[in-house]
Amino acid sequence: MADLPVSTHVIEFPYTRTLGPVVGPFLTGLRDGQILGIRSNDGRVLVPPTEWDPNTGEALDVGGLVPVGPGGVVETWAWVTRPTTKHPLDHPFAFALIRLDGADTALLHAVDAGTADVMVTGMRVTARFRDERAGTITDLVFVPEGA
Amino acid sequence: MADTAPVTGDEPVVMMDYFMHLEYREVICPIVRRYAAALADGKILGQRSPKSGLVYVPPRGYCPVSSEWLGEDHLVELDDRGTITNFTIVTPVQYYGQEETEPFVKASVLLDGPGGMLSLQDILDHRPDDIRIGMRVEAVWLPEAERLTGEIGNRSYGSVDGAIQGWRATGEPDLPADSFTDKVY
Repeated sequence: MADLPVSTHVIEFPYTRTLGPVVGPFLTGLRDGQILGIRSNDGRVLVPPTEWDPNTGEALDVGGLVPVGPGGVVETWAWVTRPTTKHPLDHPFAFALIRLDGADTALLHAVDAGTADVMVTGMRVTARFRDERAGTITDLVFVPEGA
Repeated sequence: MADTAPVTGDEPVVMMDYFMHLEYREVICPIVRRYAAALADGKILGQRSPKSGLVYVPPRGYCPVSSEWLGEDHLVELDDRGTITNFTIVTPVQYYGQEETEPFVKASVLLDGPGGMLSLQDILDHRPDDIRIGMRVEAVWLPEAERLTGEIGNRSYGSVDGAIQGWRATGEPDLPADSFTDKVY
């Protein structure tokens, strides 16, 4: 595949969107150092919170937002050996599904574990919030509990 | 990931900024490479389908009308003069990346001789209101040393970017529309 002629293209599109009554408070919570889930109509706690019950499509009560975490259990994970500029960390890390304490569903997020050897399904992790937070999902990263 | 300005104070977070950035590379097919190289040499290459008689510029390696492959044997050198068969006046909205501030024209130019249609061409030195269907134009080439056609991709149909700056009116009389209606494709 050496020396094949290529052309490089860049597409860029900046946009702003409204967050709505559930994701707005969720990101506000992250900005304030707290993770929120929402109670579904069958009593489960969904994280990240959604406006609608995933089973029935019914609207969920915004009053049902509840704090979860900051600790949780890794349900499954994948190690990212070579992060791209799009990734939340600039060094190798794990993407993991993390079921936070008090939640019934798993949040997809990054675990800053150092090496893949540390990663085990079922391990405990906890949220580490950045000092400077902007109200985005990257305001925090997870680390192995006790690290 | 989101590239978001820090939210200050205690206001609720109600908006989210997102900067979509996608960079990709594609391998250029041989016939497009040939086209780009010829363009840098000041020649516009097309491919003529023997069955349909249609001329494609840039060459695309096949004729979708007669459903046949086109190769090196079908290459034809095209004229760098032609006729405006249609045009659009664009009034620029100042979205991200829009560098134009005044209304401008993108025109379809039907080339003389063997034919071939170049779309989305810039018309130079003319107010948009003065552009006419049937207007005769000629290519304004960049100086040879300034030609850079390395960004022409496989899907850049009609593209002369990096070699031809735009098209300028020749001053010849307009052609009547019915002289090119059958050639507009």
